Amino acid sequence: MSERAFDGIRIADFSWVGVGPLVAKYLADHGAETIRLESGTRPEALRRAPPFVNDEPGLDNSGYYANFNSSKLCAGLNMSHPRAVDLAKRIIAQSDIVTESFTPKAMRAWGLTYDNLREIKPDIIMISMPLYGQTGPWSMYQGFGHVLQAAAGINHMTGYRDGEPIGTGLAYTDFFVPHLAAIALIAALDHRERTGEGQFIDFGQLEAAIYATETLVLDYTVNAREQHRQGNRHPMAAPHGAFPCLPRDPGANSDSANSDDGDSDNERWIAIACFDDDDWDALCTVLGDDSLRWDDRFNNQDGRLINQDDLEAALAQHTQRWQAEDLMQALQESGVAAGVVQSSEDLRNDPQLAHRKHYWTLDHPTMGPCCYDGPSFRLTHTPGELTKAAPTLGADNDHVWKTIVGLSDEEFTELLVEGAFD
Amino acid sequence: MVSADSFTRIDAPGPLAPFRVLDLTNELGQLSGRLLGDLGADVIKVEPPGGDPSRWITPFYNDESDPERSLHWWMFNANKRGITCNIADEEGRALFLRLVELADFVVDTAPPGMLDQLGLGYDDLSAVNPAIVHTSITPFGQSGPYANWRGSDLIGAAMGGQMYLNGDPEREPLRPTVSQAYAQASLQATVGTMIAHFHRTRTGQGQHVDQSLQEAATYALDNAMATWDLREVNIPRPGNGRNIGGYKFGRYIYPAADGHMSAMSYGGLFGLTARQTIDWLASHDAAQDLVEPGWVAKLDASQGVIPPLSPEDGQHLADVLAAFIAQHPRDLLMREAQAIRNGWAPVNTPKDLLENEQLIAREYWTDVRHEELDRTFTYPGPWAKLSETPITIRRRAPRIGEHNDEVFLGLLNLSAEQFAAHSGSGVI
Repeated sequence: MSERAFDGIRIADFSWVGVGPLVAKYLADHGAETIRLESGTRPEALRRAPPFVNDEPGLDNSGYYANFNSSKLCAGLNMSHPRAVDLAKRIIAQSDIVTESFTPKAMRAWGLTYDNLREIKPDIIMISMPLYGQTGPWSMYQGFGHVLQAAAGINHMTGYRDGEPIGTGLAYTDFFVPHLAAIALIAALDHRERTGEGQFIDFGQLEAAIYATETLVLDYTVNAREQHRQGNRHPMAAPHGAFPCLPRDPGANSDSANSDDGDSDNERWIAIACFDDDDWDALCTVLGDDSLRWDDRFNNQDGRLINQDDLEAALAQHTQRWQAEDLMQALQESGVAAGVVQSSEDLRNDPQLAHRKHYWTLDHPTMGPCCYDGPSFRLTHTPGELTKAAPTLGADNDHVWKTIVGLSDEEFTELLVEGAFD
Repeated sequence: MVSADSFTRIDAPGPLAPFRVLDLTNELGQLSGRLLGDLGADVIKVEPPGGDPSRWITPFYNDESDPERSLHWWMFNANKRGITCNIADEEGRALFLRLVELADFVVDTAPPGMLDQLGLGYDDLSAVNPAIVHTSITPFGQSGPYANWRGSDLIGAAMGGQMYLNGDPEREPLRPTVSQAYAQASLQATVGTMIAHFHRTRTGQGQHVDQSLQEAATYALDNAMATWDLREVNIPRPGNGRNIGGYKFGRYIYPAADGHMSAMSYGGLFGLTARQTIDWLASHDAAQDLVEPGWVAKLDASQGVIPPLSPEDGQHLADVLAAFIAQHPRDLLMREAQAIRNGWAPVNTPKDLLENEQLIAREYWTDVRHEELDRTFTYPGPWAKLSETPITIRRRAPRIGEHNDEVFLGLLNLSAEQFAAHSGSGVI
């Protein structure tokens, strides 16, 4: 086993759904002992969300939950039990970091604010990650990542040029803001390591999500211009889009009988981006079309930018005669930026991701072997290591409540019977 | 001194204030250096003489095409100082290595192998400074069958799986919005950088961080990977809806009286808040037939796991919601939806964002002075509020070679003659 960057760091993780668990996953996958504190009475939403193994709903059967909770422990804690707050404080007293993502009223109601926590553990680092932060008129508002992307200005920029704003297909901010929260959290941990000083991080997801909008804000505040969604187009590159290729050979396709959305599975698209005339020249060479190369509308970058509708239609006539992978290979060998629009299935078979060992297979006690995402970066001395599959609900009650917190067998059994860990 | 929000000491230095960064990145990684600068590090952007090509990325201040006026450059290079140094030249390389001795981080976006050829790969850097944390961001990573392929944001979004999940099913797949693959690579590279930094604080040991653009996009695909793994379903692009685990959920963005509203899947009419939502619509005479007991029974999933909903029923909910939302302004919809714990939100335009009462109350927006233009512009503010070591946005992006004097004469202690010689030979 390699050295692990966060060996000896313990996290009491009260967060749930996407953002908080993904922040803690970074630390857990690099060695932090990360304890999810969860209730089966009010289950974590992702434990109830598909996909499930064998399509059977169950709190210990969700792939959605599993992928975000590798390398973690889980202890049950039912916050409506009269001794729950005391138990929470006792685990916090043994921890370095507390993470949570409730609206601010929850921790206040339980008496688990940062001011409360530092009385228990003076150098604790606490990060609170609700949508809108700890203060202000929206602080008690709730929501999820697929809605926050609207508030952050992202959805205004998402969709076709001639269409209404559409959501990204994802709960996008759930997969954007955790990186920023993790950066802030590790910075605070490093500050503590050097100075002994803990702190509180008031992380409002909205404020971080705005960093996904590139120059949307500055173009407005500097030039008084409201940018508009551009589909796949780019102000400095043409062509810059997705083009149809030959359908996937149905014989080569795996079972897609489970899909309830019709058969888009066999569609194949390639993304192509040309930033200058050399790129265009190489593209025309690969496509073997000199008439396209010398077409007055397209033979310089300004012309291609102005005549993009015609350009895209002309290119599609060519690309639809190619297998997507063949065209990608040919274009890349000629130095043109091109890539297949890859599905999840494609990604699992992608030779580059395989070379980088992106995917991990971990054996889960009830789900069996499942695939997990590992970190996207490679550190030479302290690489990430997914040490175990996601925990089943309450899997580590004994370890957490007896070994770490120090409950006696009698206390533990009494609390167990009373439902404190449910 | 404590700021108005009562949590942050605004006069303290940031957590990375003791550290220095050399930033060799283009648009693929510029946000990474920016974030380290936001945390207080002294970030020195190292550009080729004449300036980095990314200074020409649109839009420009007043639409004047000028390497000092790119808003893209401003956004992603604030909180950095700037020098020019031709690191491909032997003298420039020597100057750069002297800076590496005085630095803690190097971030680059050079194609794999290029810095090694220049004698500036990780092995070269760690030879002069074993504690250096060197982060390299490339389209596909440092090695592997695609390592030397060309990338761009669009290619990262395609090859990393983002585009497959985005767009209308009957039209072409879309990149999610402005450059998200670049943003993902920059953010995730910075997480890796901070992990390496923490390890260095504890052990004194530096290391290399190898970040792939494609892989960063792949790490941001919601439940798509798990859905293939468990169900062998490729989640299709869901248009204006959402797809969780291979199951289609309804439209969630609707035209309101004064813009668009994001109203969750089925607006809360289906699931835990179904009863409250039906009552709410009924209070506006907009519930139509949903008040009938059969509908309530079908939609209320406050107990147990969410059951499936037929496409016809889903379409009916969307039609009822669309008719309701079209009648009302977004602020009323937001307030009343949140009162019954429905997490709706407005689709904010840039103007809406700047006028948003929450961001104003939180003192989010930050003024940045551009003294050469005699103007002050509003920038997005700190992306986290750290109580003891605050994030600050302290300076605008550097002009070409703006800090050559400070860095070469001050930090490196070159003599005026040496500096002039390097300038004359085109190294600086």
